[in-house]
Amino acid sequence: MTKNRKWIILFLTPGIILFIFVFLISIVLLVGTSFTNWSIGSSISFSGIKNYIYLFTKDKDFITSIFNTIKWIALQSTIHILIGVGLALILAKSKWYTSLVRTVFFIPNIISSAALGLLFLCIMNPQFGMVNNIITKIMGEQFVHNWFMNPDTAFFSVTMTWLPYAGLVTILVMAEMASISKEIYEAASIDGASSFQQDIYIVLPMMRNIIGTATILAATSMLQKLDIIIMTTGGGPGARTMNMPMYLYNTALVDNNYGLANAQGVILIILGLITLISVRKIYRMDKEH
Amino acid sequence: MKSMLKKVMALMVTLTMVFTLAACGSKTEKSDDTVSKDKPVEITYATFMVGSHVSAAAEKEVLDAFNEKYEGKIKVKVEELPSDDAYVNKMKALAAAGALPDVINGKNGLRELAIKNGQAVDIMPLVEADAEWNKYVGEGAINYSKTEDGKLYSIANQKQIVGYFYNKDMFETTGITPAKTWEEFMSNNEKLKEAGFTPLAMMTGENAWTTNLWLAAMIGTNGDEGNEFMNTNYPDSYDNDLVVNALTMVQKCLKDYTTPDAIGAIYANAANNFLQENTAMIANGPWMVPDFTDTSKAKEGLVDRVGVSLYPNDGVVAQYEIGYVLCTANKSKEEQEAALEFLKFKTGKEAQKIFLEKSGALPLTANVEISDEYKAANPLVVDLINLADEAKYGFENMDNTAHSSVIEEFSLNYPELVYGGITPEEMASKLTQAANKHKEQ
Repeated sequence: MTKNRKWIILFLTPGIILFIFVFLISIVLLVGTSFTNWSIGSSISFSGIKNYIYLFTKDKDFITSIFNTIKWIALQSTIHILIGVGLALILAKSKWYTSLVRTVFFIPNIISSAALGLLFLCIMNPQFGMVNNIITKIMGEQFVHNWFMNPDTAFFSVTMTWLPYAGLVTILVMAEMASISKEIYEAASIDGASSFQQDIYIVLPMMRNIIGTATILAATSMLQKLDIIIMTTGGGPGARTMNMPMYLYNTALVDNNYGLANAQGVILIILGLITLISVRKIYRMDKEH
Repeated sequence: MKSMLKKVMALMVTLTMVFTLAACGSKTEKSDDTVSKDKPVEITYATFMVGSHVSAAAEKEVLDAFNEKYEGKIKVKVEELPSDDAYVNKMKALAAAGALPDVINGKNGLRELAIKNGQAVDIMPLVEADAEWNKYVGEGAINYSKTEDGKLYSIANQKQIVGYFYNKDMFETTGITPAKTWEEFMSNNEKLKEAGFTPLAMMTGENAWTTNLWLAAMIGTNGDEGNEFMNTNYPDSYDNDLVVNALTMVQKCLKDYTTPDAIGAIYANAANNFLQENTAMIANGPWMVPDFTDTSKAKEGLVDRVGVSLYPNDGVVAQYEIGYVLCTANKSKEEQEAALEFLKFKTGKEAQKIFLEKSGALPLTANVEISDEYKAANPLVVDLINLADEAKYGFENMDNTAHSSVIEEFSLNYPELVYGGITPEEMASKLTQAANKHKEQ
């Protein structure tokens, strides 16, 4: 065992060095500079928890960005997962359309987010967009609506650019479902369980961990969403579609306030950890079936 | 033996992985490497005037001309960024690292960042020492960019005179002429709308350029007080009647007198709407004139149907661009000299002439003559120059006078203003808050 330990340490060393120099040092610097006044060209000075007090007491747009981020995490962890798992259950029946639907449904996941944002800008354009044109044809009269910029529909429109596209969730669940022994299905059939009952009482409980993993991936992706928001609304109108990454980007690159931006980064990381722990608890991922 | 071989191989694999990580890091070239008696001195320059940018052809011609003139002595390494926004964001990141290119365009606060991080060079002594360069840059451009303590950190390469273009056919059909007052302007918009035309090509995305030109004009022609406000750099407050009244007018224009896609639109959308004759007017500068004859962008013969006008109350945006900054404070003598030669060329006679002919950018002084052939081929530019001489109010635009955080606030809040989410007073307050963000913590 001692002999093996040496080899283990030796092979882990490059990964650990990479983690320390790329991630750990960056996080330490991030946390440290979040307690400073720091902008381009000025010297860094310690300011205690002033940045955090400012963010939570005076910066209404930051509070809005937190709530928007939490809303998107909640939506992505529920509706998005529901769509992905539901489709996986349907496609797992191996019908003639399984491969086609799986491939088509996965396409939005392989297009770059920036390109997807541009695509939706065109689809939802108030003048020549496909959505307004279809509604015009159905209603029989000219329908003009600015989906991304109207305050009533901005949040909904931005959400639609990622919420339904659960191809990754479907693929992950289907891969896990393929490992379920056929004998379990046969036993359930013999006991009189319908296809629906088998999905609910046998398949889903067995998919707990993979669904939990997919939920973590989906939820934490909302903590990184920046490119689609930049391409579509920029966080507007007002702060209606502003999320934490977008607000952090503006604070760092528009306002040039790195101390404040890093404080936002720390809060973002804390939110991510809370999300991770919560999902693991809900899905009881540390417990066996 | 086998065990020893295994250990050696494992060690070699580990070392290979570690050295691969080190090799993945960026190489920092010593500045001595760019200077050698045998090789040309290499300098760096970043530009956003590429691709479909109105000045892309002019920029390329200037860069080619410089490389040809200085072949073997100086080589310009150009970094191309695909848009104004991408350029500004990249330069801000480089400014934070103290790694700006040797020459940059100092727009949108980049000049101030270069000064703050110590890379910008005071070029006042250099301009004063070169009579030829001084002659083509002129006192106007120098005084515009000079700091209070007499230092000069940027030099423009073009003068900006901005009014608005209008579709003469649409105006004639509607029975109107370019408005002399803002009341007449709003009345003209209503008449155009009743005649079945969309009056204005506006935009609220990016820097809300065409919309903010109207806003600047509404404020800048509102008496001496308004004119002073629009000639003040980085005002601390927008909470005043001048701004609120102007925002009220802009709100009406965005609601009733522009295209459905104006809210959230970028420059390309607004320009396209005018060039495709979807709208009757667009506020923009003479650099747009070449587009009127470009059939890949504009309807056939549009140039013959376009007129140019001052803003109501005889106002015109009259300013110099922020211009180019020499960021070689910490570089070797050879690199500083090479970059200075590039800056002189970029802002000198030949470059100003190329930019005039290829992109309609006006030269800094009358010493760069506008040829009779150019005047005959570009009557709109000549009209604008003549009109500007008669203007009562000259003022700057929002991009030059406002903090970048304020420009961002315009873009975010115009949609709220249009859809009734906020009032003009509330928007003015938000602009004030944005202007004071850096003071608040």
